[in-house]
Amino acid sequence: MALSRRQFVRTAGIGAGAALTSSVWGRGRENRVWSPFEAELQAVDRGVICIASNENPVGPGKKVLDSLRGLLEGGARPGRYSNQTAELTGAICAHFKVKPENVLLSEGSTEILRAATQVFTARTKPLVGTIPTYEECAGYAELIGNPVRGVKLSSEFKIDLDPFLAASKGAGLVFYCNPNNPTATYVGASATRDFLSKLHSASPETTVLVDEAYFDYVTDPDHETHVPIALENPRVIVARTFSKAYGMAGLRQGYAIGHPDTIKKMRPWVGSSGTGSLNVFGLAAATVAIAQDNTFTTNERNRNKAVRDMVTKWFSERGMKPTDCQANFMFVNIGTPAKAFREACRARGVMVARDFPPFEKTHARISLGTMEEMTKAVQVFGEVLAKKSTAAA
Amino acid sequence: MSVSRRGFLQGLGVAPSARASAFIAARGHEEWVAEAQQQGRQGGGMRPNLPPGVQAIRISSNENPLGPGKAAIDAILGKFPEANRYPFNSTPLDADLEILIARLYGGKRENVVLGVGSQELLKNAVRVFMSPARHLVEASPTYGNCNQQAKLQAWPIKTAPVADGTLRTDLGALLPHVKGAGLVYLCNPNNPTATINSASEISDFVAEVRRASPTTAMLIDEAYCDYVTDPSFQTAMPLALSTPNVLVARTFSKAYGMAGVRIGYAVGEPATIRKMSAYRMPYNVNTFGVAAAVVSLKDPAHIKEESARNKGVREFTIKALADLGYKSTDSQTNFIFTDIGRTMTAAQFRDACAAKGVMVGRDFPPLEKQWARISLGTMDEMQKATEVFRSVLKPVTSTSSGKGR
Repeated sequence: MALSRRQFVRTAGIGAGAALTSSVWGRGRENRVWSPFEAELQAVDRGVICIASNENPVGPGKKVLDSLRGLLEGGARPGRYSNQTAELTGAICAHFKVKPENVLLSEGSTEILRAATQVFTARTKPLVGTIPTYEECAGYAELIGNPVRGVKLSSEFKIDLDPFLAASKGAGLVFYCNPNNPTATYVGASATRDFLSKLHSASPETTVLVDEAYFDYVTDPDHETHVPIALENPRVIVARTFSKAYGMAGLRQGYAIGHPDTIKKMRPWVGSSGTGSLNVFGLAAATVAIAQDNTFTTNERNRNKAVRDMVTKWFSERGMKPTDCQANFMFVNIGTPAKAFREACRARGVMVARDFPPFEKTHARISLGTMEEMTKAVQVFGEVLAKKSTAAA
Repeated sequence: MSVSRRGFLQGLGVAPSARASAFIAARGHEEWVAEAQQQGRQGGGMRPNLPPGVQAIRISSNENPLGPGKAAIDAILGKFPEANRYPFNSTPLDADLEILIARLYGGKRENVVLGVGSQELLKNAVRVFMSPARHLVEASPTYGNCNQQAKLQAWPIKTAPVADGTLRTDLGALLPHVKGAGLVYLCNPNNPTATINSASEISDFVAEVRRASPTTAMLIDEAYCDYVTDPSFQTAMPLALSTPNVLVARTFSKAYGMAGVRIGYAVGEPATIRKMSAYRMPYNVNTFGVAAAVVSLKDPAHIKEESARNKGVREFTIKALADLGYKSTDSQTNFIFTDIGRTMTAAQFRDACAAKGVMVGRDFPPLEKQWARISLGTMDEMQKATEVFRSVLKPVTSTSSGKGR
């Protein structure tokens, strides 16, 4: 089902009716759907359990932090423009066995999502995404005046591949967020390969951006990166970030991997097309992080899975079924508006995520903290949701 | 794998000499972009012949050679436990930095937008205010970020040369171009010419632009304002806070010593800032940088000391070159712009200096045949650098007094 741009925008929560500039401001702000000039700031107070923004609650790990600390305590100073792009690019190349011309470093993955939207959409070549999904591409397409087409998810809250394929024909860019944020669902690697191949035959001029932000959290056995396809096919790009499993959301480091021709088209639209636009902390930390062996991400995936299993069980036992979660957050049918749930949790020291239309009346997105945090959090959920059922009864 | 110290090198005193290419990549953003655009390539850039074992003096990118103060470094170390948090979830919040900046200038949070350095702000100003029908107006030469973005979008640009002799931005020459412009970019002090326009010149110019072309936006880039010592200069912040379509951009990359940290900001009326904010990347600034910036803004004495230190180095370097017969513009920044045209071009000067381990600025067309930009390092570095300049540049004083000294 292809929605009009305006419908998509409304559904995606960017806000219809309001002036474009003010409506777009809030997109992607995971924690708060804030008016830009909100008087009261919601700082994360000490002791508050922040499970609102799909962050890794543990952080980048000792090896990364010790390396940074060693530099700073050894007298290194971040007073020069960064010159470490070659090192991080090299570490990414070694990790994926690719060449520097396949890699584009960026300020978070935001710059990649924007650059792809800028380069591949046009007035006559829309952006296609699911409803809901991570909004950066749709928001940016709207900002630069290019059309957006939204496609509903399946009843399992997964990318509904047939209608998605139909809607993607003739698109400039297809945003394929897998696992999908905020619904946490994952389309298996074989089904995705099939989709990419069908789309390429049906619409050879359409580019697909596969956002693998949550890749390291997937436990589905049919799980593979789409980097090999991106290397072969100039119409496929993979976006990655260090903000999730690598635990560096504060350091703003991401990248794309793709065919050299595709990367070349995007490069001028990303600050890192020149040395000096990326911060030295993110560069240095990411270089150490990705050069670690797979133990780091394996441990993080296992840690997250144990927490996920516990929270899934907790909700399921209470008749509230989460979607098939393959990420570090859950999308749960709590049967009550997310806003009321969020506010009640916040009052008890737990921050969960903002609204995700069109499911904001029934579903909440809950990021996964540590086991200790989630053990406390489910107690709060219990109190809040019990109150709701009492009130309803 | 441990992180090499090159990327983070400053202050360690470790010579990166063995890997000239990585070291060359350390040049500032503007140099890199210009180079890449000239040569149509993605990376690598030029490779001057740095002799093996020579420890280079980098005076090419207008960086503060000392970096930030101890308080900022401590603030960064204090943020390590929150590396995993987005800037809207950590303490201080990115919004706390906006509020602190606003208070400095008597504004409110809605007067401020943060950028990844001022680069994001300059590029976004082009996106926000220009279009195929609404051109850019700027001096030639000036800092190239807006120009590069406008070219990337294939939007029109009109320039006016800097004034003959002084190389100051010629506001009168810019004025005829402003009607119907989308954006006027003014860099004050101007990079690369190091000169300023006075407060009254700027306010008159803003008023005239407002009269001639009320919908034209103006971005006044004050990246180097902390280094100005000429009392006729004043920040345009009050103008930005009270005039529609006027923005002032600042950065922590210069006097604050945090080029590698990537924090900048722009100040303007709420309506203007809202337009810029629409284009701001969500969670654009890194949390370590936010913490360092907050601490630094609370320590104005550090900036005063940095400015005084720079002034001493500036006077020394200008005099050393003047003694050789080479005149510089009236520098109000942490770099100088020197007329070496009687002896060599900027490229020849750069190559000759690089061969002796001193890295000076790139070409700045259309003045590259005559003028060289030299950033100011520490006094120790500039004493060494001026020795190199002496050996590279022939004395050209007409009197004999300069010789034999």
